[in-house]
Amino acid sequence: MRISALVAARLSVAGALLLAWTDALSIPAFARKYGTSCLTCHTVYPKLTPFGEAFRRNGYRFPGVDSDYVKQETVALGQEANKKTFPNSVWPGTLPISVPLAIGFNGQAFLYPDRTSSVARANGGAGVSFNDLVKEGHIWAGASVDDSITLWGELTFSSGSADVEHAQILLNDLFGPKHAVNLTVGRGFPTLTSFGPHSSYLGDAFITTVPVTAIYGLSSDPFTLVDNYNGVELTSVIGGRVNASVGVTAGKNTVTTQFFNSENVYAHLGAKLGGMRLDGEGSQGPVDAMRPWAEDAVTVDVFGFRSRETFPTPGTGSATPPPVANTSLTIGADLRAQLGSAELNAGFYTQHNDRGTASLDVVNTNVEWGELSYVLFPWLVPAVRVERIELRPGGGPNVSDIHLMPGIAFLVRANIKAVLVGNIEFADGFPTDATGAPLPWAGGNADWGNFVVAPGAASTPTSSTHEIESISLFIAWAM
Amino acid sequence: MGSNALRTLSAAALLVSAPGVRAAGGTVSGKVDVTPPKYAAETVVYLKGVAESPQPRTLAMDQKNMTFIPHVLVVAKGDTVKFLNHDGVGHNVYSPDGDAYNLGTFKQNEDRTHKFDQEGPYSQLCSIHPEMLGYIFVAPSRFAAAVDPKGRFTIADVPPGSYKLAVWNSHLKAPDQPVTVTAGGTTEVNVTVKR
Repeated sequence: MRISALVAARLSVAGALLLAWTDALSIPAFARKYGTSCLTCHTVYPKLTPFGEAFRRNGYRFPGVDSDYVKQETVALGQEANKKTFPNSVWPGTLPISVPLAIGFNGQAFLYPDRTSSVARANGGAGVSFNDLVKEGHIWAGASVDDSITLWGELTFSSGSADVEHAQILLNDLFGPKHAVNLTVGRGFPTLTSFGPHSSYLGDAFITTVPVTAIYGLSSDPFTLVDNYNGVELTSVIGGRVNASVGVTAGKNTVTTQFFNSENVYAHLGAKLGGMRLDGEGSQGPVDAMRPWAEDAVTVDVFGFRSRETFPTPGTGSATPPPVANTSLTIGADLRAQLGSAELNAGFYTQHNDRGTASLDVVNTNVEWGELSYVLFPWLVPAVRVERIELRPGGGPNVSDIHLMPGIAFLVRANIKAVLVGNIEFADGFPTDATGAPLPWAGGNADWGNFVVAPGAASTPTSSTHEIESISLFIAWAM
Repeated sequence: MGSNALRTLSAAALLVSAPGVRAAGGTVSGKVDVTPPKYAAETVVYLKGVAESPQPRTLAMDQKNMTFIPHVLVVAKGDTVKFLNHDGVGHNVYSPDGDAYNLGTFKQNEDRTHKFDQEGPYSQLCSIHPEMLGYIFVAPSRFAAAVDPKGRFTIADVPPGSYKLAVWNSHLKAPDQPVTVTAGGTTEVNVTVKR
């Protein structure tokens, strides 16, 4: 098969699908609120230090009494004493003296060492591409109403589109021991591990995702484990060492003319041994004051996710006749082991889709990932990430693709970052369309470091493709 | 009531509060270290166990630019506070603390009074302007002082003896500590206030 405009378009669409995951969770609005450096919570942002992870888990609140640490002036919308006069007074809260916003931009440039690689071919044999050097703009909002309720939001802009990526009200410490019962309402990422969704130096997302129904051409807005969903989530940190989450979200429903039973249900349980508590409470500070990111600790998580997504019946492109639903069940686990400045992350999940292929057949998927990093200096982190996606469709060829990412993440300043990363792929087999023809596909992480592979002129569904996909330079700044 | 009247009222209060203990009294002074410092302005230092029967005083708390002035007023049990309004807008003064009171709404240049018979802190609120907050701290005796912007305090004319020095802060705490006051002497005390 020859690379065609259609293939290029499909790769482009696949890349766009992944774009939604490139937003970073680092927001200078918090730096302004607390009058503190980005480095209080981050190494090379958005990667969080143990303290930053605790801040995130606590619903964007410092351990102890959050307001003790707020340096930004606030307007009182009532007084503490008004709690005694409730319900004859409005429950007190505060408003930041200035709108708690931050802005940021990010994008990437690509070098294609092998002009015959999948993406280079799709782009007419290009050797270098600056097309996406500025790809997205972000407006973030982060604020607290009082010591228990916080707000978090993100608008992302890219060519011709704007999207509400996050808009959440976090109701913390609802009852019981501190951090034990918290409720998040709104739009955001599901909590499937003990760590932030962007807990990777190279790939942006912690979990490698696989958009099965997009790969097989069923959906233009496929379900993946890490994406923005509307819903509610209960989270809990118990005893500082165990954390859990349970959530229900609206799922993916690309047929917008009707409402369908497309809810996602998920849960996760994690535990940390050693290092800072998961909630950061009672910490005496880092063992080595010069290396606040470093600790000796092991954290393990297990998670499960049931999703039901709907999409138009293949070949019709419309909601009538009735759309089709795919139900997927995912079970997975991950581990983080830290020894000083060295950190190893590893995880896997297995996912069963009951209607995932172009002919609405079953797809079983296995995904594994691992990332080893070392904070050489506070501003320089070499790392290597390895990911594998395996697709085992009913009635079609199996696909196994290993993605190797050696790279380095660094800060120019605390709020200006870059990631230089190589993308090397070892793919065996291709997904196929309804006629059995091999399909180009993309998956995994954000588009500066994702799986992207397309069949060549002589490729068959069982062909192997080994290629240096690209060397990408991701840059971002926020303020 | 104008600012002249307020000054007259304060001077009168000082005169009323100067019985015979002054000549033989000592001074307790020191510094309060507050963590986090953002709450330092809402700190009062007072002595427990001083026996005295002073004349009740009348002190004043004003409302100006939609702010309670002073932010923290220290009075003794039995004192009366006159609440003034020097804003062009109407204000209300109420407190849910201690013997909770609501002085109603009053316009510019009007005032209301309240006698404080229970010790402790009273949040001063305005139901019309919920952002307004002040404190009246009712100490067991006149031997009490709000800290200055540098965290320092001075309690003068204290009868010689041994007492407990206590601290009130709107958000934080400190344990009581013993102090001994000698006639004509100054006892220096440093206090740490924290969560």
